[in-house]
Amino acid sequence: MLQDLKGAVRKIIEEKKADLVIGWKQGTLPGTATPLFIETPEEVSELIFDSTCRNNLTSYLTKDKRKLSKDYKKIGVIVKGCDARSVVLYAVENQIKRENVFIIGVPCSGVYEKKKLRSVAGGREILSVRKSGIIVTVKGYDYEISVPEKDVLSDSCIFCRYPDAREYDIFIGEPRKEVEVDGEFSVIEDFAKKSAEERWEYIKAEYSKCIRCYACRNVCPSCYCNECFVDQNSPKWIGKAPETSDSIVFHLIRNIHIAGRCVDCGSCVTACPVDVDLRIMNKKVEKEIKERFNYTAGLDINEKPVMATFCEHENQDFIMS
Amino acid sequence: MCNGYLPIQMRVGNILAENPDKTLKTFDLSFINDKDRDEFRYMPGQFCEFSILGKGESPFGIASSPTEKDILKFTVNRTGSVTREIHYLQQGDIVGIRGPLGNWYPVEKFKGGDVVIIGGGFAFTTLRSLLVYTLEHRKDYGKITVIYGARNPDLLIYKEELNEWDKRSDLSLHLTIDRSVEGWTKHCGFVPSITKEVAPDPASWAVVCGPPVMIKFTLPVLKGLGFADDKIYTSLERRMKCGIGKCGRCGIGSKYVCIDGPVFSFEELKKIPEAF
Amino acid sequence: MLKIKKENINTMIEMLMKDFLVYAPVKDGVRTAFKAISSPDEISLGSVKSEKSPKEIFFPQSEVLFEYSKDSVTVPEKNEKPYLLWGVRNCDVKSIRMLDKVFGNAHQSPDNSMFKDPYWKQRYDSSVIFNFACNQPLTTCFCNWFGGDPFDETGSDVFFIETETDFLFKGVSEKGIALLNKSGLKEDAGDDNAVQKIREEAQARMQPASDITPLFEKLSKIWDAPVWTKVASKCVNCGACAFICPTCHCFDVSDEGKNGKGRRVRLWDACMFPIFTCEASGHNPRGNSTQRVKQRVMHKFNYFMDNYGIHLCTGCGRCIAVCPVNFDIREVIKEILKYEIKDKVTADV
Repeated sequence: MLQDLKGAVRKIIEEKKADLVIGWKQGTLPGTATPLFIETPEEVSELIFDSTCRNNLTSYLTKDKRKLSKDYKKIGVIVKGCDARSVVLYAVENQIKRENVFIIGVPCSGVYEKKKLRSVAGGREILSVRKSGIIVTVKGYDYEISVPEKDVLSDSCIFCRYPDAREYDIFIGEPRKEVEVDGEFSVIEDFAKKSAEERWEYIKAEYSKCIRCYACRNVCPSCYCNECFVDQNSPKWIGKAPETSDSIVFHLIRNIHIAGRCVDCGSCVTACPVDVDLRIMNKKVEKEIKERFNYTAGLDINEKPVMATFCEHENQDFIMS
Repeated sequence: MCNGYLPIQMRVGNILAENPDKTLKTFDLSFINDKDRDEFRYMPGQFCEFSILGKGESPFGIASSPTEKDILKFTVNRTGSVTREIHYLQQGDIVGIRGPLGNWYPVEKFKGGDVVIIGGGFAFTTLRSLLVYTLEHRKDYGKITVIYGARNPDLLIYKEELNEWDKRSDLSLHLTIDRSVEGWTKHCGFVPSITKEVAPDPASWAVVCGPPVMIKFTLPVLKGLGFADDKIYTSLERRMKCGIGKCGRCGIGSKYVCIDGPVFSFEELKKIPEAF
Repeated sequence: MLKIKKENINTMIEMLMKDFLVYAPVKDGVRTAFKAISSPDEISLGSVKSEKSPKEIFFPQSEVLFEYSKDSVTVPEKNEKPYLLWGVRNCDVKSIRMLDKVFGNAHQSPDNSMFKDPYWKQRYDSSVIFNFACNQPLTTCFCNWFGGDPFDETGSDVFFIETETDFLFKGVSEKGIALLNKSGLKEDAGDDNAVQKIREEAQARMQPASDITPLFEKLSKIWDAPVWTKVASKCVNCGACAFICPTCHCFDVSDEGKNGKGRRVRLWDACMFPIFTCEASGHNPRGNSTQRVKQRVMHKFNYFMDNYGIHLCTGCGRCIAVCPVNFDIREVIKEILKYEIKDKVTADV
């Protein structure tokens, strides 16, 4: 598949179907890939695609005040299923012109979560991560541990319904249809069964770890505001100090802002340097949106954004009750 | 141990609205503690961090000269959240001041020479300090020339003093506005072109303060007249927080505007690509 | 070196805890962090260095500068025992010494007491740092680029090594030597061979160093070069690297108050954040990502050397481990060293 991908990207560059293609190349750490910006056919040789390709590359289309979109007329981007939904989201929200983005879909079987790999290694340094069939082997200086692949897959991937891009210009291989998953929100449902005190203690413990580095916000493809509410001082919405109450409010507000727009790519979880459980809030909001509005972000390029559209038939019992 | 982060208390005295819009106000502050007053020694060009506790701090050039005893004068343009609070101040209110911070105009070097002061808009604050200082020490300096311009007459600050200075024979004052306005009898034109007209002697020391675009166009005029880079000084501005060279915010190149500046010669600025 | 059997180390630490507030690496989930310990059992020296650096012991992420009310301004009192940092790797020791140059002083007017940060000095001046040798450097460690070494003891007060059965201690600074003299540990020269073996194994694990001697000069010459756009392209400006870095020290000062009472707080900040240099008028000298990445690299490898004669980096590698997009500073340095200056690139800095 990789050879076909390289061939396709080379052709896209040579035929000027895109001026820049964003993909991944081998990172400098084991089990890690890093973004690759391809402008010439020669640079294509470094391209890879495997389960280390965690980053959602589409965020580069809107970051830094859409700088890339200004510097390059047509940008190609290699996408997994979740990433492709971000591009659809951008088109729906008028952040890009669909014809200026060349979407290259690739078949995704899930990406490895850094935290889980570290857990397998028991906190020891990892020297290599290798996959053989459905077994992943994590190796260090004085250990070698093999686990079933699903033990190190990102939580977003385990319950992923849309592994392959549904909106694309070309797809390398055969795209799968929607995958049936069970228990997508089971973590949230189990959490809801706990008492209010238990839930509050958990949230407090997790979010007290937050150091407000804003890595989650900066890697998130849905967070592209030129001025984030965090940086405003009139009014000052939250204090800047990493106090638990302010940190919780930051994440709550961010989750409300990405309600109905999160594609569960897992970039935030990967980026967090202190392993805050971000999905507990994220997934809850996603569940609410699904149940109230039967909506999942980024599936249909012709749809309107769920939180920005009024529909008369909407459930309004929260007003009436 | 001395704590550079603690402000001293000052009382707000006279407040003068410099323009009809009241977006520019000049505040005279007096010391509450005698000890603070006695220890506060500053030179023209230095600045202070002006605190409204609970709202924040902003840096302002000291507009008063050290020869004007017992008060500190600041002219504040209402732009952001802190300056808006400053503009709400009434006489008698208490504010915080940290300072004096930064370096100052090299008045010792200027001694015996001619001095040309070129200012634009409300950047004239520290230039006022310099001008009053040199006038108080008149014998130490040769010719003093002042070229000061603003978009329109309302935006010139220290208007009463400008009138007084205009009457003096030991100083040459050139006021200008961008476009002519009825009743205006002085120069008309941007500061760089008036500087060219006035054509000060290139052996003089020049101090230029104003918006970056004004400096950008005044500098070639001075160079064209024969000024050397190490005879031209300016005062830079950057976003600041600590004011004592720690927090990294006001860095330009390897220099910090709060401790290596704000006064820099063009000889020094040439070497810093981020300066403009 | 002074020797103590591993099973007796807790006694030594308990003795130290009488006079000092001891900070040591402690397990924090899968990660390790420096925390104040209440018992030696909490210590987890481990083979992997702590993910967050110990700079927050002297320079907390959030520090109250003063509290104010209508009538007064008060600085919070600190009544703590002097700090003892146990198990600090040499890269972090050197970083702390570097930060003292900034907080304890200013690169101009070193005698002006207004430039001494009292919050830092109060914690730092009385502190003692126990430097732990790195028996198992990581692949991300590049202290050797800056003249460092897994067994370097420069800057420490006490240097100690873990062997299979013992801990071996050596006083390095006057303070450290005096402290060890009081400890009652016995001198034992018999372990030199064992130590040498561990040292050689550790050094063999280090990745080969790049020669960075030309880096300062090179950076002075390439301000406008297109290499910056290439280098900066993948950075998402999140600030994780700056927060995790033991030498990064930029901070914000923020007032929090209501109804005439409140406090002024100092908080970590990062030059990577978009509004770091944004002025009230809206003008932002570093408005785009490339400018900010350039600032970070220039500050670390050019400006700091200009002012203090050393790079603002000790090669600890934490930024490489934490970056969400695998922005690797080693690759950036190599890219810059490799870049050939074309004729009319820029004016010399």
